[in-house]
Amino acid sequence: MNTNRILQVQNISKTYGKGSSSTTALSGVSFDVLEGEFLGIMGASGSGKTTLLNCIATMQKPTSGKILLNGEDISAFKGKSLANYRGNKIGYLYQSFELLENLTASENIILPLSLHGVRNQDAEQALIPLAKHLDITDVLNKFPTQMSGGQKQRVAAARAFISNPDIVLADEPTGALDSKNAKILLDKLSVLNRQEKKTIVMVTHDANAASYCSRILFIQDGTIFHELRKSIKNETPAMFYERIMTVIAQLGGGSANVL
Amino acid sequence: MFFKQILSNIKKNRKDNGLFFATLLIAIVAFYTLLSLESQDVMRFLKTLEGDAIQKLMLLVPLIYVVSLFFVFFLVYFAYKYQMENRRKEFGLYLMFGMKRGRLFLMLMCETILNSMLSVFIGIPVALLLTESISLTTARLVGLGIIGHQFSLSPAAILGTVCGFFLVQLMAMLILSIHFCRMEPADLIRAEADIAPKNVSGKKGILSFVFGILFLALAYATGVTLLNRFEGLPTLLVLVFGTLGTFWLYRGLGTFIEHALQARKAKKSGLYTFTGRQIQENVLNQHASLAVSSLLLLMALACISFGIGMGMGRTAADARACDFSLMGSEEEVTAFVQKKENQDMIEVCYPMYIGNIYQGDYTLSATGLVDAIKKTPQNDLRDKIIENLSMDDNYLHLFPVSSFNNLLASMGEEKIQLNDNQAAFYSRMAADSPNYLEIWEAALKSGAYAEFKAPDGSSKKVELLPDVYYNNIVADRAITLSTTLILPDDLYTTLTTPLAESKASMADGIANAGEETSGMADVTKSSDDYDDNDATIPFAWNIRIKDVIVKNEGLLPAIMKMDERLVQAGLSYDSYLGGIGRNLFYTVASSYLSIYLGVLFLLIANTVLVLKYLIWQKMNRRRYLTLMMLGAEKKAISLSMETQIRLYFLLVLGVALVNSVFAIWSMFKSFVRLPAGTSLEMVALLACIELVCFVLVELLYIYIVQRKSRKEILSLHVSERPE
Repeated sequence: MNTNRILQVQNISKTYGKGSSSTTALSGVSFDVLEGEFLGIMGASGSGKTTLLNCIATMQKPTSGKILLNGEDISAFKGKSLANYRGNKIGYLYQSFELLENLTASENIILPLSLHGVRNQDAEQALIPLAKHLDITDVLNKFPTQMSGGQKQRVAAARAFISNPDIVLADEPTGALDSKNAKILLDKLSVLNRQEKKTIVMVTHDANAASYCSRILFIQDGTIFHELRKSIKNETPAMFYERIMTVIAQLGGGSANVL
Repeated sequence: MFFKQILSNIKKNRKDNGLFFATLLIAIVAFYTLLSLESQDVMRFLKTLEGDAIQKLMLLVPLIYVVSLFFVFFLVYFAYKYQMENRRKEFGLYLMFGMKRGRLFLMLMCETILNSMLSVFIGIPVALLLTESISLTTARLVGLGIIGHQFSLSPAAILGTVCGFFLVQLMAMLILSIHFCRMEPADLIRAEADIAPKNVSGKKGILSFVFGILFLALAYATGVTLLNRFEGLPTLLVLVFGTLGTFWLYRGLGTFIEHALQARKAKKSGLYTFTGRQIQENVLNQHASLAVSSLLLLMALACISFGIGMGMGRTAADARACDFSLMGSEEEVTAFVQKKENQDMIEVCYPMYIGNIYQGDYTLSATGLVDAIKKTPQNDLRDKIIENLSMDDNYLHLFPVSSFNNLLASMGEEKIQLNDNQAAFYSRMAADSPNYLEIWEAALKSGAYAEFKAPDGSSKKVELLPDVYYNNIVADRAITLSTTLILPDDLYTTLTTPLAESKASMADGIANAGEETSGMADVTKSSDDYDDNDATIPFAWNIRIKDVIVKNEGLLPAIMKMDERLVQAGLSYDSYLGGIGRNLFYTVASSYLSIYLGVLFLLIANTVLVLKYLIWQKMNRRRYLTLMMLGAEKKAISLSMETQIRLYFLLVLGVALVNSVFAIWSMFKSFVRLPAGTSLEMVALLACIELVCFVLVELLYIYIVQRKSRKEILSLHVSERPE
């Protein structure tokens, strides 16, 4: 396995508010993401998993600690370099798709490239293989309102991958999808991960979605509390799913039960 | 508690929303300005002169008031809608916290009433200030400054303003409150309303676009070629073609933008596609209101141009020839003029004679005139003149030169010098029609003559001087003479009296009168001889007031003083004041009201545009956040947004401007006539000033929207993206 550390999260904390009324969302979280990994972050509501993802995505600034992408401190990014980071270095997949309703699928997908100066006709070249893989070639000229939820999320996925980012962050990407469309999406993501060596970090509370990951971090009360690693050689998704469910059951019972 | 909350809401809203309050103030000022028209200085003055006409005009005011109410309703409606859209989340929370819909409704209505009261308290003084300054300015412009300005607080106007304002506000708010109170809390809590994107249907759009342009072209063509007066059918055609064309053009514009975008986007990058799509979506969703705004702007430009045109046409009044023309016997006139107090005021009094050729004696041979006219370039008016000249000679009037010279002298102009074989040409029509003047000037320069044939076969030929005279021969416009010859006194007497009568004494009488340019004419005829048909009896006695008095007291007060004395003396007369009054009336009635409506339309169209855009922008908040997350810089988003605003305004303004060029062109070609002697430079200058003012107003609005939008973009932060 490739041991190149693409993302290093070093002891980050995030506190909302000040003084006695402050709330700690993250306290001293550290982990690395290796290139080509499909990392899942699981946890209950309020556990801090979305805050963690937002910090990586530069949507929020951690109160302390560092996040390095390919060795670069992302909190130092400002202005152009920040825009460049958001557009080129990371891709983001939202639960609610966040497609622009007045742009066609293809215009939505190539927007990150466009924003960084790539001419639309060149960007469309990069789009074709990705669209084929995600099975959305039929809807490329349609507007989001003319598509199903599954198609919308795959269009959003194409947009997240189009600029060939170092890492794709997905926040509950199956949250708004039915189980069939969720499965299609996760299959496509995991193929992209395995075949194209795309690095994906996915926040979810759905054990089924998490079972597609190669490693899962469990987070509770702002700290990493457990880690599961899928044994690729001899573990089926179903077996991995059971192990995940066991951890979730133990999460409910408190940390004392977990090894 | 409930009341406290209402008060705090109002305070908060006022702080957040300067534009909203400015809109309410505009509404109040608009109502008051219109309703207080009657108490303006100019109007009060005119009432003393043209009471009936003013009465009729005042009957028109309620009609315009209703029209204003209708348009201001939309203004207020959009202002409130904008505010409510900003507050929808708040309403949703109220409902979730257990506030009853009825109570929410009550709260909103109370807020409206309090808001209205506050606006009235601020708006009425502002309106007063404005109307006072308008009153003073117009009074100054038309030369009434001396009459004395009166502070014109009009209780009726205030009452009308307050009632109209409350009515409009409550109606707008009622409709909106019902709409918002009926919504589900969940829909309200989502901060942005859904934008329902409309699909572009290619063929329909293109067809609509093409038909739009076609209909507009038809409207232009009809307006410029067929519209001669305010006639029924052409006017209707222009209105129908123009309105339909504008609506269809905007309906099809979305598809047009789609094609333009597809053709160009391949080679572009950045936010180009996004900007294009935003504008396209805006046009597709709001094509009707864009069309309405554009038409309102067209109406604004047309009304203002019409007002300026009419104002120009009327203020270019005649040079003051004399102040009064008395119609009475010599004795009556003499008695009046020779009174001590009147003598002190009167600079000069002289009789004006007008005559016709005495029937049955002499006849005019117009060949010399017709031939001269025929030398000028062919056109309809020339042919008409020739036709008139070739008819019998009843139309021809005659002046004795001495009488006419009195008029010229009193105006300080050079007298006409005629020898026995010369005459001068006079036509009052030349003052009103520049074309008429041009034809006659050309004809006279080429050498024209008139020939009078006596019954015995002999004839008298007179050469015409090359100048055309068109001074007003009486104080007001009581008579209009189209073709008149100014003749040597002897010839005048010969032609106007029966051959049998003794001519010498008549000629002497006239000649004597002619010499009196100061003081009274030497009157020898008794009042018994007075006869309207007699060309040797003065048609009127012209009086001119001493310049010293005019200088010291002002022209209008001096005239009004003399006017009173004439009324007391029971003389019938015609006064320069009547002319001024009529001029003023037309100026005020047409210019003031149409400029008022024009400005109102301008304000409404722009405010609606601005508010619609800002509501739209609010709905787009999430999109901008997504763009930022995808790596767009705030600066790039700001630029895109500024382009959107510019194009959005340009789409409305462009069509409105093109439309108005043709509208104003056909207007000035048909029913608005500029007075003779209005130079092209003057018209161009005024048009330029109007255009510059219009552009400045629009730039100001664009600036306001851009500033507000930029602020909004800068306040965006990716972390606030709703999950």
